[in-house]
Amino acid sequence: MNLGQQHKMVRSIRTKHLVAVVLLALLILASSPFKAGDAHALSQDMARTAEATPTEPADTIQSAVDFDHDLDAYVPKKNRYNFYFTYKTVHAWWDAVALGMEDAQRQYLEKGVTITYEYVAPEAASAKDQKRRLLAAAQGNYDVIGVDVADEAAISPVLDELVDSGAKVMTFSSSDAAAGCKRIAYVGNTHNYEDGVQLTEALCKKLGYKGKVAILVGSAGAPCHEDRAQGAKDTISKYGNMEIVATEYDMDSIDLAHDLTVEILKKNPDLDGIICCNMSNPVGAARAITEKKSDAVIVGMDHDREALRYLKDGVIYCLGVQDCYSIGFDTLQVAVKIADGNMPGELFPAKTNEVTTVIFQPDAAKMLEMLYGSAL
Amino acid sequence: MRRKIEITHTTFVGTAVFGSLFIVIALSLFVLWTSRQTVVATDQAVSAVSSFYLEAIADRRSREITNLIDDNFVQMGEALEFIKDERIESQDDLRETIGRLESLLSLNRFALVDADDTVYARYTTYSGGSRYAFLSQDPMDSRVISTVSEYGSSRQLCLAIPTPGLTVMGKPFKACFLQLDIKDIVDLLAFNDKGRTYFALYSRSGENLSGTDLGPCLSSRSFFDATRHVLPEAVWKENYNNFANGLEGSITFESDGAEETLCYAPIEGTDWEMAVLIRGSVIEDQIRDISEKNLLHSRILVVFTLASVVLLAVVLLLQARVLAQKKLEEEKKASEAFQLMARTDSLTGVGNKHAYTESEEAVNERIRSGKLREVGIVVGDVNGLKYVNDTQGHAAGDKLITDASSMLGEYFAQGTVFRIGGDEFVVLVEGEGVEALDEVASEFNRKVEANIGDDDVVVSIGYAVLEPKDGELRDVFERADRMMYARKTELKSRGAHTRE
Repeated sequence: MNLGQQHKMVRSIRTKHLVAVVLLALLILASSPFKAGDAHALSQDMARTAEATPTEPADTIQSAVDFDHDLDAYVPKKNRYNFYFTYKTVHAWWDAVALGMEDAQRQYLEKGVTITYEYVAPEAASAKDQKRRLLAAAQGNYDVIGVDVADEAAISPVLDELVDSGAKVMTFSSSDAAAGCKRIAYVGNTHNYEDGVQLTEALCKKLGYKGKVAILVGSAGAPCHEDRAQGAKDTISKYGNMEIVATEYDMDSIDLAHDLTVEILKKNPDLDGIICCNMSNPVGAARAITEKKSDAVIVGMDHDREALRYLKDGVIYCLGVQDCYSIGFDTLQVAVKIADGNMPGELFPAKTNEVTTVIFQPDAAKMLEMLYGSAL
Repeated sequence: MRRKIEITHTTFVGTAVFGSLFIVIALSLFVLWTSRQTVVATDQAVSAVSSFYLEAIADRRSREITNLIDDNFVQMGEALEFIKDERIESQDDLRETIGRLESLLSLNRFALVDADDTVYARYTTYSGGSRYAFLSQDPMDSRVISTVSEYGSSRQLCLAIPTPGLTVMGKPFKACFLQLDIKDIVDLLAFNDKGRTYFALYSRSGENLSGTDLGPCLSSRSFFDATRHVLPEAVWKENYNNFANGLEGSITFESDGAEETLCYAPIEGTDWEMAVLIRGSVIEDQIRDISEKNLLHSRILVVFTLASVVLLAVVLLLQARVLAQKKLEEEKKASEAFQLMARTDSLTGVGNKHAYTESEEAVNERIRSGKLREVGIVVGDVNGLKYVNDTQGHAAGDKLITDASSMLGEYFAQGTVFRIGGDEFVVLVEGEGVEALDEVASEFNRKVEANIGDDDVVVSIGYAVLEPKDGELRDVFERADRMMYARKTELKSRGAHTRE
């Protein structure tokens, strides 16, 4: 989120949702530990969450994903840049991030700045593969190396090693490195834990704060998925009549998410809800409960078209939609600044926060229309 | 008994005017009738025409897209051949080559794909497995036409061809492809269409791929959703099946009181349907515009014709009048010439006996009325005419007469000369000529006397002027005549030839 949007958001909060912000801030402070990140970013996070509070689904579709970006006033020092980006796994979520990067690249090109970059990932999330790619990239002629951390424990030391060897390293999109890592900056979701809390709160309210729930996490070790799952667990633990009956990892596979859900339903036919922590979970879970005619309430993440269709049809209760386009756009802008030798401060923050908007059934058609050009 | 119609100037003009008016009115009525008949007939034909018109447009646009696709496949094939011949050793080389090919062959977002589904484009190298479903075809053994809906509602038409055996930078490459933004295709079609009709590209599932607004009723919604409430169930199902099976068809429905016709046709090689819609009122309006223009032209024609006929009639009448006047003048001149000829002596050109008689009567009238108080007469007789005729021939005699006439005219220039007999002349003098008569006559006589010796023309003259006692010119004439005879005798004594 750029500064203009942040200021606009702040004004909006102050005038429209001041009370809700205070109440929710107190709730979050009381229920969860802060993750690494600056206070400013967190305030923005809470603001968007307040806007999309499940009790009053706001019409925030237009601001959920911002496709209208312009480069900021920063003037690059060079006219050619070459970057290397790697992320967890080949998946539509990162394709959305890629489109934001491509938009920024086109805008730089129009200004006479040629940016070339690699944006690659393995077929399946793997810290080992990511480490191999990063080390290989360090031998290449790249101005900046960016990474969406697959496993913060395994990758953070590698990033430190690269920085020590003189490489300019940043993290982006869904997962930052571990606290204390020497990476220069992070652009992406800084509130994965809070996203998990919000989705789970919505589910709990829908279920009347009682019932059995399952958690589908995503890739084991992926910070974003693990943080959301932790947020979900902490929230459930607050309510005595709620129980987590299963926690499974689909490794970002829809088919695996489906199979795991079928298995969970087999063992827990009276399952009341499923908390999905990534983009593939809700699709697989929705397929399964449709197939098995279960009444389990699904809350999940992101903007998969099939998931949005399930949301429109009422199979999925709510989705936390991240602004992937802005993540991609801002990532490339920050990469240019880092390549020019800039450090976090005036030009860019150590963590550039991007918003997550929780949307409900009434918003689904509009979101489908906006993201895919059709409500179908 | 047949009545003979007399053609007069009035009948001529009346016939011209009424004839012209009749022609103009008949022409006007005919034009009006024809225009209205055209509008009525065209209105009736609109519905029938709409379908044929739209089918033709849908087919044409479908072919345009098919041709666009074919052209791009050809270009991509050429690009591939070029790459095979290029020495590409690094990613930078590959990017530069792709950039050159995009520029040279006008390729849109051309890229190569390696065996790991990594996409190599001009500026980026990225994992494409999840972005391009068609890459999952394994093996890709023929050309692929695929619609890719990207996040952010962008829709791309991806054209791919397999590249078996292609190795670049030591890596095997499985395919190359390019992306055509459907919005660009739509813009191209819209440009060609010039905004006459609505159109949209749909997927077989009814999704509006082009995002174009198909009129106020269907807008940009799904074809099936949008048409469900405007068509009877059976018709809707039939079209649903047509659409899903890639067939062509058409529907007509009412929207806001206007009839709309939509035709759709499959686009070869794709899973798209091209739909074209036109509101009946658009055709009607266009035809009405044409009719009104024709009517306006007809009115202008009628007015122009009327003006032309009137102008022509006026010109003709003026010309007829001028011609009549001219003829009248010619007749007058002829009459005057005839009269002149009747009053002129053919030999000498002076007035003849008839002219003198007319003049005498006129003078007498004036004398009687007291308006003329000064008038004189010179009576002349040519001496020796018979002698000349007998001795020198009549031609010489005629010459003698004309010389005598000329001599009288020369000396008595203030009077009017008449030849009243073979060798007899009269000069009628009025006004100032009367006062100088004595002097002129003396000069004349001196000349005559000189001519006797020269054997030239000799004219005996006598003259007299009007006296109060004279009742008419004849009295004056007789005195002058007597004087002339006396002079003739005198001249004879001087040697002049005489009749005797």
